[in-house]
Amino acid sequence: MVDPARAPSRRGAGELESEVLAALWAAARPLTTAQVQRAVDGDLAYNTVQTILARLYEKGLVDRASQGRRHLYRPTKGAEELAAEQMQALLRRGPDRQGVLQRFATSLSEEDAEALRAMLRLRRRR
Amino acid sequence: MTVSVYVPVAVSLLVAAISHQMAIRLSPTRGTVITVVGAAALCAAGATWALVLLSLTLLGFTQLAVEEATQRGVVLVQPVPGAVGVLAALALAFGLARVVRVTRARWATRRELRVLCRSCAPGELAVVPVSEPHAFAVPGRPGRVLVTQGLLALLDGKERRVVLAHERAHLAGRHHGLRATAEVCAAINPLLVPVREAVAFLVERGADEYAATVSGSREVTARALAKAALAESGDPRQSALGFVACEVTARVAALHAGPPRPRRLLPGGFLLLGVGTTAAAVQATLAFCRLIHWLWLS
Repeated sequence: MVDPARAPSRRGAGELESEVLAALWAAARPLTTAQVQRAVDGDLAYNTVQTILARLYEKGLVDRASQGRRHLYRPTKGAEELAAEQMQALLRRGPDRQGVLQRFATSLSEEDAEALRAMLRLRRRR
Repeated sequence: MTVSVYVPVAVSLLVAAISHQMAIRLSPTRGTVITVVGAAALCAAGATWALVLLSLTLLGFTQLAVEEATQRGVVLVQPVPGAVGVLAALALAFGLARVVRVTRARWATRRELRVLCRSCAPGELAVVPVSEPHAFAVPGRPGRVLVTQGLLALLDGKERRVVLAHERAHLAGRHHGLRATAEVCAAINPLLVPVREAVAFLVERGADEYAATVSGSREVTARALAKAALAESGDPRQSALGFVACEVTARVAALHAGPPRPRRLLPGGFLLLGVGTTAAAVQATLAFCRLIHWLWLS
């Protein structure tokens, strides 16, 4: 575990690349640099986003299409469809195999889901 | 043989009984988790060794010892009843079979995850075009963060940062190794299953805390977690698994409650129980050796 006290306050180049790539994947349509900047949410300068996109393009991780003077970016598709099939297969395996997966969030019972929704509503009202 | 051979079982029960409370109260640092896993390993080793000793009594030297003792006019204290020996041997066999099973499952899943990641574009992040929201940390050199497109689409920029940081914390803290160790302990000694769940919960909490620091907001971290969990709860097949200790609700509540206070005493107490088990196992071994020594060498 990484101690929270020692967590970096500034993100490294690799982390920023992942964030930009994640934003492109989330969008499901090609994005301009300005749109990427908005999607990554907030604190990145336009120039930084541009640099990161250029680096991702050099690595072959994003495709670039020109629209007038602007570039439109989207993630490069490799054998992702195959990966999707492999993941569906993995998620259908028995509890032994499922137990190994380190999930971000586990599913909830109906009761827990209701409790969680109530908790979120309560926070919003405060 | 002496009572000490049964101590590991008693301690395991005690450790299991308190592990849920411990998981909720402990500050989820790496040190804490290592301590809990260490205690579990000591308990598992002690209990397994006790089973080995009890099974060995089946080989017949207790019978020999009893006869010898009667001849010499000595009264032996607490010889192990035959039934206990048989039960111990069975428990040992089942335990070993379970260890083989969970280890195989772990390797198979890991292999599959690596193959899956290789199908994706290189880099830290691997995105799979699947609509259900999932995120996994895939250990390896280097480790990778595997996310579904469904999860990314569900979240905003800050929340996506939370997910990435959370999975990165699993990789950096080598949580998979800690979880695997706890799993093997619970496989060989099923009394330790609650400890395995406690470890699973603690590593998730630790990763949440790291993500909260990176994103700069406990609120955003809790929201990302809640969104992902609520989106996932539609699938009854997965809820049937019931990983009680990983309860998302408890994690969200902990994030809302504020930064955890470090407690040094609790993990220490946990470790002490593990050490107690080891001491008992050593004592039982000595008693066993004395019996053999007395039988054949005196």
